[in-house]
Formats: sequence, C-alpha cells, structure tokens
Amino acid sequence: MSLLQADVASTFTADGAEAFTVDASLEVDSGETLVVLGPSGSGKTLLLETIAGFHDHEGVVTRDGDPLHDRPPEQRGFGFVFQDYALFPHMTVRENVEYGARYHEGTPDAAALLTDLGVGDLLDRYPPTLSGGERQRVALARSLAVEPDVMLLDEPLAALDVPTRQSLRDDLADILADVTALYVTHNRTTARAIADRIAVMRDGRVVQRGSPEEIFERPESPTVANFTGSNVVDLSAAPSLAALLNGDGSLDSHVAVRPEAVRLNGGSGDLEATVERVVREDATSRVTLAFDGVTVEAFADEPPDEGATVGVSFPRDRLHVC
Amino acid sequence: MATETERRFDGKRLGRTPQVLAFILVQAVAFAATYTAGHPTWYAYFMIGSTAVTAYLLDGSSFAVASATISSVLLVALGLPLFLFVARQQPSIIAEKAVSPDVHRMLYLGVYGPLLAAIVSLLLGIPLAHLLAEGFAGQPLVESLVDLPLVVPHSVAGILILFGFGKGGAFPQLSILGTMVGVVLAMVFVSAPYAVNATREAFEAIDDRLSYASRIHGANRWETFRRVTGPLAVRGMVTGGVLAWARAVSEFGAVAVVAYSVEFFYLPAGEKVTTQHAPVFVYSTYLQGGLAESGAVAFILLGVSALIFLVVRYLTNDTSGGIA
Repeated sequence: MSLLQADVASTFTADGAEAFTVDASLEVDSGETLVVLGPSGSGKTLLLETIAGFHDHEGVVTRDGDPLHDRPPEQRGFGFVFQDYALFPHMTVRENVEYGARYHEGTPDAAALLTDLGVGDLLDRYPPTLSGGERQRVALARSLAVEPDVMLLDEPLAALDVPTRQSLRDDLADILADVTALYVTHNRTTARAIADRIAVMRDGRVVQRGSPEEIFERPESPTVANFTGSNVVDLSAAPSLAALLNGDGSLDSHVAVRPEAVRLNGGSGDLEATVERVVREDATSRVTLAFDGVTVEAFADEPPDEGATVGVSFPRDRLHVC
Repeated sequence: MATETERRFDGKRLGRTPQVLAFILVQAVAFAATYTAGHPTWYAYFMIGSTAVTAYLLDGSSFAVASATISSVLLVALGLPLFLFVARQQPSIIAEKAVSPDVHRMLYLGVYGPLLAAIVSLLLGIPLAHLLAEGFAGQPLVESLVDLPLVVPHSVAGILILFGFGKGGAFPQLSILGTMVGVVLAMVFVSAPYAVNATREAFEAIDDRLSYASRIHGANRWETFRRVTGPLAVRGMVTGGVLAWARAVSEFGAVAVVAYSVEFFYLPAGEKVTTQHAPVFVYSTYLQGGLAESGAVAFILLGVSALIFLVVRYLTNDTSGGIA
C-alpha cells in the first residue's frame, strides 16, 4: 500500500473545442479510497489520465515520496480500470488478464483471479462476446494481475445496467478495502458507498475535500450541495426557513438540507407546505414540497396526495448554511 | 460483437442473395442476346429500364426508382465497355499472347514491380501513418506532401523523380533511368499515399484507451505497437498494401517517363531481360499491333490482376469474429 500525492495541471484541446485545463491537488493515504466526484465535463477523467501519465502535464506526482511525474505510464506502478473496459479485442480473456505478466514478476494466476471475480469460466472467450459486467470484471482482473501499488478507476460502473452495477459495486468495495485507490465518478450513490474520502470537482478544480459525511451533510457551497443531492434554498427567498435558523445564516446565504432529513408531519411542523409532486421510487416516494415560493424535496414511505397541505419539520442539526 | 442491427442487416442481405443472382443472370442473358443480335445499344436501354422496374418492384417509392435509374446510367457507362471488351476478344489471339515469353516477362514485372513498391510504401508508410494518427505540430504540411501525388499528373510525377533522383539529383550514384530502382521509385511515388492513408485510418479507428491500457500494464511504446495497435491495424495495412499494389500495377505516366523499357533480373530464366511495365507494354502493343493485339494483352493482364485481387481479399477476409 502506498501514499499517492498529485498536484498536476494539464490542458486538453478537443477538435474544434476550447482548451480545457485541469489544475488539481490530491492526496490519497495508504489503503484509502479517494473518490473524485463531479459532473460530466468537470475534468475527472482528464485528471486521472494525467496522474497515470497518459498526457503531458506540469506539477508533481509522487508515491511514498518517490517522484513519478517524469516517468512514462508503464513505470508508474498504477493499475487502471476504464469506463469502457478497454479490453484488447484480439486477445482472449486469459491473454488480456496475463497481458502485463511479462513486465512484472510473480504475478498471480489469471484463472484464480477470474474465479475470485466470478468469471472463471470465460478464459477462452474473446471480449466482444462478453456482457458489460463480464468485461468489467475481466478488466478489473487485468489490473489486479499486475499487483499495482495504486489503483486508478475511471467510472468503472457507469456503462453497466443497475443490477450488474450494484453487484460489481459490492465486489469493488471489498477489493478496494485494502488497496490505495483513486476512483472517479459522477454517481453520488457509488461515491458514498465506496469512498473513504471524497474530493468534489468542478470546472477542472477541486472545490471541496472531506469525508463522505462532510461532503454530503456539510457542503461548503450551493454548487456542492446541489451536486450531492441536497435541497438548496436561498434564504432571502424563504423567510420561514430563515426564521428557523435564529440568525445563523445571513439573508444572502443558502441553506442545504438532505431530502432524507426533511420530515412530513400531517398537520403540524415547522411550517406548512403544499405537495406539488409525488414520484414513486423503488422503496419510497420522492415528494416535492412548495412554501414561500421555493421548493424542497423529501422522501415519504406513505406519501400525501398531490395538492395537499402538510406540516414539514427540519431538524436544526441537519440544516447547513453554505 | 455484431450489434442486433448489424445482424438483422446481414440477414436482410443474405435473404436477398437469390434476388441479386437472378438480376445478374437476367442481365447476362440480355447482354448475350443483344450482343449476338449485333445491337449492344439495346442492352444499355434494357439495363436502365430493368433497373428502374426492379427498384419499383422492390421499393415502390419514386425516390428509389429515380435514384436507381440515374445510377444505372453511370453503371452502364462503367460496365458496358468492360462487357464489350470481354465479349469482343478473339480467343486465338489471347491464346497466342498467353504463351508468348514477352507477355510472361511483362506479367512478371507487372506483378513483381508493384509488389516491391507496395512493400516499400508500407514499410516506410506505417511509421508515418502512426505519427499522423497520433498527431503532431505541422501535421497539415506533412499531410499535404503525402497527398501531393494524388493531384500531380503522373507524367509530371515521373519528371519530378528524374529531377529528384536522376542525373544531378539528390543521389548521383543512383541509376534510375530504365532500371528497376527507377520503376519502383516511380511506383512508390504514386502509390504511397494509398498505403499511408489506409493504414492511418486503421490506426485512427483504434480507441486511445487500448494504448493506455497497454502502457499502464507495463508495455512500452514499442511493445504496445507490437502487441496491440499493430495487430489491430493489420487489416488496414493489408488494405493499404493492396491499394498501393493495384495503383502501381496501373501506373503508366510516371513509369513511362522514368523507365519506358526496364532491365531487370527475370527469375524464371535466371538472367537479366528487358521489358516494359504492363500498362506501357499494352500501350506499346497498341501502337505496333493495333487494338486486337493490345486488347488480348490487356485481357490477360486484367485476368491476372483480378485473380490476385480476389486471392488477397479472400486471404485477408476476417473470419475470426474476434475483433470488434
């Protein structure tokens, strides 16, 4: 296990597009999984590829203090799992997993690795004949086979259907428990499930770092709050909510509150709201509530009817001014 | 892996095979009948009309009928000369030319010279194609230089080669006038763009992430080329080689300027002989022997070229299904 430190700047110019610059500093402790969470186009993948050495960059990348930034990708000691698998289509599954064996000593047996990942029967198949979930398990095995010091994972679950994603996410959480890993995703559910720490990225820069608890419950800005799924209310537009804070937040600030913290209480509560919309989700319902001309969302197992007036409570310790 | 759409499309094509064969058979019979009757013009009208009717029966829309009818006019312009060329050959002259040692030498040079040119074009063109696919500063200038032979009149290409590599050129010790070196140089000049561009397209079609995956798992750039990008681009390289070879086979202008007659080592006889590159030979035969003799030589050349083309296509046809 290794400590990874990166402070890099890289500029990418797509054909016909304006140049996009990533300028970010990260530190991943030994055995830790740091999730870089950000919307599409925030530069997460470019940051990961830059750390891997795929793009020219400025700045430093070190592992246990050992500088890596002047080394080519093959000498950085990383494993990399790609969103779209990047399996070699002209090689069998076994050849894919054993690809790095000749460049590393004492690599584990490909068949055993694949069996551990639940795809031991695919050894002689070619990648184009596999399902998405199978391909990603093979790609994971290929990376683990070189026993990397640090794993870099670029949205490895993004291209998978929901059941496959959940199953692989559980396996990934087990695998990454003992590995130093940098994992980028736009999916906050995945981030919360896998991360020891999270760095939120936007427009090529890290805008907040912290534990999942800090990121999700105490976002430092309305932007982070929005992206992590909190309700964000402009206090100047919601006097009844501002009154609940007893002067904690100025009227030019915002308050963030998780939807799961908002409580619906029949006829009583901190304030009254109108039920604007009810959307049934897997095991619960997402309820959109309107008051003071603003809306917030809440979850309810037994949702009220649309158009009804309900009492709404906001636990004070879950209201976070940002 | 083939997508569902691709599978359905393939199924549709396979299902239409009998219709395609029936259409070809009808066309062949119609051509034979009109030619035998001494009115090949009638076949031109028949082909256009039958195409319009077939489009109407298969599709029914006015757009399809109009597209097919207009297209058939072009196909008549392209196909009719070929059909009449084949039909009007005199087997006795073909047989006579087929056993002629002069024709054998011409065929040998006509296959061997372009083969050398295609190999040289590929060996020197693959690294360039790889660089162009990756991109570099000043790339548009290099691209223009690569594509220059496509727009330069080929006799001019021959003149350029004489200026560049002939007497007083860059390599005075190089003898190119009437030599195999000159022939291959002329052929490389006109055919290299095909080798470079086809190979470049193959490299460009490879996802960058496959190279990244190779590098991050320990392979350096040479190994990545040898194990991943090279094998994945090999079909493009073969296509480029075949195109370069075919282009070199058909080259007249540049070769005629640099080496109208060429001396080379003729392996079957074990000695040096002098002959002309195939298109030059056909032209020379036309000037000396007329249309019938040059037609017979051209017929043999066409047959050999088509045969080689089909063999290469067959050998390079992807049957593994493993690459996607």
